[in-house]
Amino acid sequence: MAVFLLQRLAAFIVTLLVASLVVFLVMEVLPGDPAALMLGVSARPDTLAALRSEMGLDLPAAQRYLLWLGGLVSGDLGTSYTYGVPVWELVRERIGLSLPLALIAICLSTLIAIPLGVLAAARHNKPADVGVMGFTQLGVAVPNFWFAILLILVFAVHWQVLPAGGFAGWDAGFWPALKTLLLPAVALALPQAAILARVTRSSVLETLGEDYVRTARAKGLTRRAALWRHALRNALIPVVTIMGLQFSFLLAGTIIIENVFYLPGLGRLIFQAIAQRDLIVVKDLVILLAASVVAVNFIVDLLYAVLDPRLRGGGHAG
Amino acid sequence: MPGDIGPGEALAPAWREYWMRGRSSAGFVIGLAVTALLVAVALVSLVWTPYQVDVMDIPVKLQAPSAAHWLGTDQFGRDVLSRLMAGAVNSIAVSLVAVGIGAGLGVPLGALAAARRGIIEEVVMRFNDFTFAFPALLSAVMITAILGPGAVNSIIAIGIFNIPVFARLTRGASLSLWQRDFVLAARVAGKGRTRITAEHILPNIASLLIVQMTIQFALAILAEAGLSYLGLGTQPPAPSWGKMLNEAQTLMYLAPQLAIFPGLAIMGTVLGLNLLGDGLRDLLDPRLRRLR
Amino acid sequence: MTLLSVRDLCVTLETPEGPAPILEDVGFDLAAGGSLGLVGESGCGKSMTALAVMGLLPERAVATGEIVFEGCNLLALPEGALCKLRGRRLAMVFQEPMTALNPVKTIGAQVAEGLRWHLGLGRGEAEARAVKLLDRVGVPRPRFAPGLYPHQLSGGQRQRVVIAMALACDPALLIADEPTTALDVTSQAAILDLLAEVAAEAGLALLLITHDLAVVWQNTRSMIVMYAGRVVERGGTHEVFARMAHPYSRGLFAASPGALDAVLPPGRRLAAIPGLVPDPLHRPAGCVFAGRCPRAAADCLPAQPAERRLAPGHAVACLHPHLEATPA
Repeated sequence: MAVFLLQRLAAFIVTLLVASLVVFLVMEVLPGDPAALMLGVSARPDTLAALRSEMGLDLPAAQRYLLWLGGLVSGDLGTSYTYGVPVWELVRERIGLSLPLALIAICLSTLIAIPLGVLAAARHNKPADVGVMGFTQLGVAVPNFWFAILLILVFAVHWQVLPAGGFAGWDAGFWPALKTLLLPAVALALPQAAILARVTRSSVLETLGEDYVRTARAKGLTRRAALWRHALRNALIPVVTIMGLQFSFLLAGTIIIENVFYLPGLGRLIFQAIAQRDLIVVKDLVILLAASVVAVNFIVDLLYAVLDPRLRGGGHAG
Repeated sequence: MPGDIGPGEALAPAWREYWMRGRSSAGFVIGLAVTALLVAVALVSLVWTPYQVDVMDIPVKLQAPSAAHWLGTDQFGRDVLSRLMAGAVNSIAVSLVAVGIGAGLGVPLGALAAARRGIIEEVVMRFNDFTFAFPALLSAVMITAILGPGAVNSIIAIGIFNIPVFARLTRGASLSLWQRDFVLAARVAGKGRTRITAEHILPNIASLLIVQMTIQFALAILAEAGLSYLGLGTQPPAPSWGKMLNEAQTLMYLAPQLAIFPGLAIMGTVLGLNLLGDGLRDLLDPRLRRLR
Repeated sequence: MTLLSVRDLCVTLETPEGPAPILEDVGFDLAAGGSLGLVGESGCGKSMTALAVMGLLPERAVATGEIVFEGCNLLALPEGALCKLRGRRLAMVFQEPMTALNPVKTIGAQVAEGLRWHLGLGRGEAEARAVKLLDRVGVPRPRFAPGLYPHQLSGGQRQRVVIAMALACDPALLIADEPTTALDVTSQAAILDLLAEVAAEAGLALLLITHDLAVVWQNTRSMIVMYAGRVVERGGTHEVFARMAHPYSRGLFAASPGALDAVLPPGRRLAAIPGLVPDPLHRPAGCVFAGRCPRAAADCLPAQPAERRLAPGHAVACLHPHLEATPA
């Protein structure tokens, strides 16, 4: 287990290094001189040169890459060209929106998907199963931004019970802030829930066919008890894998959903930074997102050990 | 996976039998019908639409659906149905080329990785792992940001992120085929790796690839819509479903119906393609049927 | 006293190609505390018979006939009542100890589960009894803590755990479906000895399913031979071995490996039965074994041969049975 974790940790670091290199190179290719963008077209050449050297833009690429990497490791993310504030501050501000949003979405999708998937498997080929499968087909096919617009139409335009966009901020109080995150979270959660429900269903169906479920039934457990006590925990192992993989889709979803709801989160920040050629912000955020994806999958590996004693090590007795 | 199919059989699959079985699966029939309808609508729109797609007619702007304009008009008085029909061409073209890029580069890479193993395989697979750490949409946003927004650039962005999908699938399926007796027999007979790949490996994974292409096609439709919605894909005035939704969002209080139809078009298309893909998979691999 | 009485048991499986008869008119009796061996090639319906008695047939299977256990017909019982019998009065040991245990639960908890479920014992009491049971079946503490997981045990040890689970609630009938097939030779004998021991000790009836005649010879008082979903020969184990009447039984006997040394002459050669078991969808109208039978005649083909008594407690379903003693 320890060896396994060390291997994963090494892979984690290598992936991030490669990611940082690629992001850096991509940003090098990106047209547009940030210094020129900051000063505008009428800037005098000598001011431009001064700013370029101040920003370190005149250094060789390799040196700039190492400087940037060193900054990342020591927690100095640099200063945004367009906002003029440290990137770290921008991130801190917006993570307070994006992180809760992602967490609510994950919780929602799990709470919807796992019961639905289990229900469908328990009622295999019965109306409930057909209904759940129909829901998942729809959920996968609906573009999340359109679903978001529909939610706005129903809850903000028609019933006017929830805001159509914007973020109240946590200073406004827990409930008002939560209210503004509710529709975006639902919009993010739907496609995830649809995929997760399918995976849960087929995983539970598969485990229900396992010998140990038959053993449990031979002990006298009812179908339902055998499902809950024996099949479910085994069935959750692949479900957790998919949840880890979904995290990256969730991040991608936030870019679009935060735009639909005009939420000042990380997704919208990165989108705007790309549009404004705020390269340092883009570089930092991409690495941050990639790191969080890899980190989540690292946590998933740890969860395996909780769910599956076979991975916990401990050799044969006797 | 193409079960126990020998090389000869795979080259002459029992299409007639598939068709007979396919007719009994509701999902497959619906998927096929929806996909056929979509293609038909797109083809028709190339020669005829109820109104001209780009002609503005301000006096009839933001009309509700009526006999004259079946799905109403937008903020410039353009006919929504006509724009949806033309948008279908856009969606299909972008997705088709993007999946073509993905399969055209991914399949050879995957086949190469499986045939050569060693360092080539390592490089291909590490590239795969790496793209997996990046949300595809984020990467697409970055690529379109570098290349500038537009339909062609969104094709490239979506296409690039289809490459690892096909590379991974092709490698995985090919690897097990390389261990099979009929491939070993071909190797003993002195055939080269390229020839074996062309004659034995690819025909046997063709059905698998067709299913995956259908599914990736659906995902590409969604991705194209997302990029156009963000303003990074097809540029106005060319009609695209995603852009129509973006414009509709600002008019939500005035004309909520504008936000309905493009979404329904996207959903219907993706649903149809997914049903078709699932149906094909069931047909080509009946052993998996139980779990779906 | 008869504990289990199976009459005219037919099981049909729904397949995409149509209904397939898996069992046809299977019948047998098992006395309380008795032992019955059920022997035949794989695919002959032995396991289906066991699952039918347990009420655990696959969903696509339909069973008709009667399975009377302790006076009530199990096939007519609702699922809830069956659950109260399973694990309590009826217990089963499966073929594959590697997969029969839940990989994410400790062996102690899995043995204790039946006690808690049927007897309503608390966790502590149930686990204390589980420790005793594990001790009885030869998985004792402290070498084998009840907190171990199945993957930490060998196949033989796991099968002992499965037996402990089956014994937990003092059942009246223990069905063992090929309990040693998946084990290595040394564990096989030990597990069979253990089964015989605990059955005698608790006075429970043993229904032993196997493809191995030697296992039947060593462990059961009576036996039935099954072929293609039907009973072809039945009787006391000693009677049947002494005078095997059905050509299939003799073929099986001739094909048995060395463990039958006690009853077989040294240096004998193994003989395979030519041909294949007929597919359930295409079984012949007449005797199911006729196609492979060296003694088949024209009268075997039109109809199933009825069972005929050769001696008290020995019957055969064959028109041309061997009447001489089994060649030694």
